[in-house]
Amino acid sequence: MPPKPHRVLLDRVSGYADEAAAYMRRRRAARKPFARLYYSGGRGEDHATDSTAGGELFVAAGRLIEVAGKGRKQ
Amino acid sequence: MVGIFTQMADAQASEGAKRQAAEAALAYLTEMSPDLRGAAILGRDGEVLAGSGDADHWRDDAATLFEIADRAGGEPVEQAHIGAEQGEVFALRHAGLAAVAVTERFALASLTFFDLRTMLRDLAGETSQPTFVGPEHVKGPQRRGDGG
Repeated sequence: MPPKPHRVLLDRVSGYADEAAAYMRRRRAARKPFARLYYSGGRGEDHATDSTAGGELFVAAGRLIEVAGKGRKQ
Repeated sequence: MVGIFTQMADAQASEGAKRQAAEAALAYLTEMSPDLRGAAILGRDGEVLAGSGDADHWRDDAATLFEIADRAGGEPVEQAHIGAEQGEVFALRHAGLAAVAVTERFALASLTFFDLRTMLRDLAGETSQPTFVGPEHVKGPQRRGDGG
């Protein structure tokens, strides 16, 4: 027995909503600020935004971004 | 006495050549990397050899970044990669030189670091056939992503 037409529509809408939610989750994770430092010998460190060093690094990076400006016009 | 003046002239000429090479390398990098917003190359004493925009700001802000990064890890940092909402900052030290670059978000980190490292290696004279500094620069660089 075929499903009722409104069920098909509901399934399709909820499918699109799930896709959109997953996209937003991925986008949020990708846009999260990060600060990674690498030292000799391959040692690497991540610094969270709420840590002291992380906060200072983001301020310093923000200044450099300002110095670089908006970038080139394509 | 004449020898001192000759040495001074040699040192000035060498400094000028170094700056010229750095400017050529930076121009090549800028042309080749569509994601790049601005960059600077710093010498051994932290002076700006080449930079897009205000050299004093690049010198001061790059020095601050390296100082914080050194302090955070307890040893001199080799590479720093910071991604903020407004853009990404790449900083690299190699052979006594340093390069700082600001790109759009989501620039390819490994490629950007590779380009910066190659540029510094060329400037430090570690490569026999420079990629960024050399006669091929005269021909004009090919922008990456032009599709041949």
